[in-house]
Amino acid sequence: MMKLRVQLQCKNLHEYLRELSPELLDRLYNHPATCLAVYRSELPSLAKNYVMRMLFLDQPLPQAAVALWVKKDSQKDHDECVSILSGLRLWHSLQLQGGLQGYSLNPVFKENLRIALLGGGKAWADEGSSLGPDRHARDIESLDKYALERWEVILHFMVGSPSAAVSQDLAQLLVQAGLMRSEAGEAPYITSAGFQFLLLDTASQLWYFTLQYLKSAQSRGMDLVEILSFLFQLSFSTLGRDYSVEGMSESLLTFLQHLREFGLVFQRKRKSRRYYPTRLAITLAAGVTSNTGFIVVETNYRIYAYTNSELQIALVALFSEMLYRFSNLVVAQVTRESVQQAIANGITAQQIIHFLKTRAHPVMLKQTPVLPPTITDQIRLWELERDRLQFTEGVLYNQFLSQADFEMLRDRAQSLGCLVWQDAPHRVMVVTPQGHSEVKRFWKRQRSNT
Amino acid sequence: MFAFSAEDEVNLLVIVVDVNPIWWGQQAQRDTEFTLSKCIDAVMVLGNSHMAMSRTNKLCIIASHCQDSHFLYPCKSWRGGDGRDEDTSSSGDGKYELLSVANNLMADEIRSVMLKSKVKGNSTDTMLAGSLAKALCCILLHQPLFQCVLVSVQVIKAADDCALQYMNFMNVIFAAQKQNILIDACVLDADSGLLQQACDITGGLYLKIPQKVALAQYLLWVFLPDSEQRSQLMLPPPAHVDYRAACFCHRNLIEIGYVCSVCLSIFCNFSPICTTCE
Repeated sequence: MMKLRVQLQCKNLHEYLRELSPELLDRLYNHPATCLAVYRSELPSLAKNYVMRMLFLDQPLPQAAVALWVKKDSQKDHDECVSILSGLRLWHSLQLQGGLQGYSLNPVFKENLRIALLGGGKAWADEGSSLGPDRHARDIESLDKYALERWEVILHFMVGSPSAAVSQDLAQLLVQAGLMRSEAGEAPYITSAGFQFLLLDTASQLWYFTLQYLKSAQSRGMDLVEILSFLFQLSFSTLGRDYSVEGMSESLLTFLQHLREFGLVFQRKRKSRRYYPTRLAITLAAGVTSNTGFIVVETNYRIYAYTNSELQIALVALFSEMLYRFSNLVVAQVTRESVQQAIANGITAQQIIHFLKTRAHPVMLKQTPVLPPTITDQIRLWELERDRLQFTEGVLYNQFLSQADFEMLRDRAQSLGCLVWQDAPHRVMVVTPQGHSEVKRFWKRQRSNT
Repeated sequence: MFAFSAEDEVNLLVIVVDVNPIWWGQQAQRDTEFTLSKCIDAVMVLGNSHMAMSRTNKLCIIASHCQDSHFLYPCKSWRGGDGRDEDTSSSGDGKYELLSVANNLMADEIRSVMLKSKVKGNSTDTMLAGSLAKALCCILLHQPLFQCVLVSVQVIKAADDCALQYMNFMNVIFAAQKQNILIDACVLDADSGLLQQACDITGGLYLKIPQKVALAQYLLWVFLPDSEQRSQLMLPPPAHVDYRAACFCHRNLIEIGYVCSVCLSIFCNFSPICTTCE
């Protein structure tokens, strides 16, 4: 009741890594792929240069010297880099001989980043070429198609298309992620978070889903470090090449089967000894996907969607009324009822607008702003119409015996800044849950005094 | 379905390496610590670091020989991901696959360049102007493809300047300036007036390194940051620039000379009729 709308939090890799424990981070850096992924996508460019400068140094550098690397007016960027590098445990500060404070790169990270850049270590995984050429080799185009199909099956399953079937594991994962809810004996159905999820772009969806997977990984008895390393390793593999499953542990093989179901890797058969990473896996750490747009929005609230994908049509239908359907085009109308229906399902106006914007037809992209302002404004206004009530948690105080008691407690709560609402004639007041204990203590003290 | 989104900025780095066999031969005799292969190693470190920085970073390496210049990477034998025969050696030592394929190709290519190219007769100067022109062409070819935002050319120069190339060189520099292309120079031996001017005009960095053995470290410290980060970092101060021009008649560097009032050609001695515009 208190929180009608749960905003879907889409974290990035950096925020995720920062929450990991230091021991886990240190173990992660044991693999060159993780080091390279963290280096490449987590650090601001200035910090990348810091790492590069120190990568081939064996002695720690005095902090004063490092501070002199930047010009005076970039001091803020420098401080930010220092805190990020320390936060990810990429460098340690330590005492130098002579009492100066110095920095030195995390030795494990340094070693493995060097290996990633220049070699000289162990191979990441067994070579696919040891398997010999694949008789059923896949080209990049078919891999892309496969990845997209697999991913769309999941989305189809979420919108409840009868044709889409996913494994028990995956359905359970969707429930665990809060995207779907299932009551005993019934097929799972979509939640408001699930609706929001559908409107994200593929890269964000993938990230959200992967993070949810990682969260539940430990409860499945999987080693977080092992699967994260493998995930990063995938993201640095070459599209269109096959890799061998040789030497992978049992839990990693299970993970591979899950990835296969999400469309991150292609494996011809479950028992196949080779797999192909797809573009979804490779762009996971980079997040450089964007769909070509197909939606035209006119100022008369009409949406023309040039698509024949059931899924996309279902998505558009989430917040609009369908008018016509042709073989390559659907026409829909955005109405007050349809938008409010969507908002009641837990979708926000911002997400609808974002959906339309990210899938805008190239013709639409030529104009600025991309969407007609009257449409975006109206969608926001329709959302505000529903937002007339605001919910605040609170504790009710009533049945005061005297007006004086009520006023004393009310003034106390007011001075503490925790009074939410009061009604003097009826001697009723509401305080915030945070202030409740303080107000209660005060009242007990008062009563014992008299 | 998948494409680079607009906000990804592609950072293209073109490295021009002077592989003049005569200079490197003499260098090997002077100092066995620092040879051409060491220099190529350092270039690979710079290239790998550049490519590791971001997925969208692109690299191109050109070897500048006596009469011609060769693309070391990407080269003709590069066939994208399906190069099966190279793959047997790739990533066997934990190196990022893309980098190890690139490095193997570069090593093969430089070997074949050094073996095949013959030095003919009297032309012993490096074709630096030609290589730079090739670098610019490569950049212009890629710019519309990737919507390059940051472009720079890194010159690693060993042999002496060649006054004969003065005109071509200056043309290349001004072309680069117009395209907002940064030219950096890392000079191993004697100061180069031409490159000093090139860096000064295009806003790049010029550095004559005091210790050749530490080339890789100099490259990483000074030349790896792109122009955006350079504005934040403390870097070596700009060198004094030798702005002497070469005369059109004998290609000598002169401080005071005669200039044609019509076409602005420079001559070291007076002649009543300008040989350029007559």
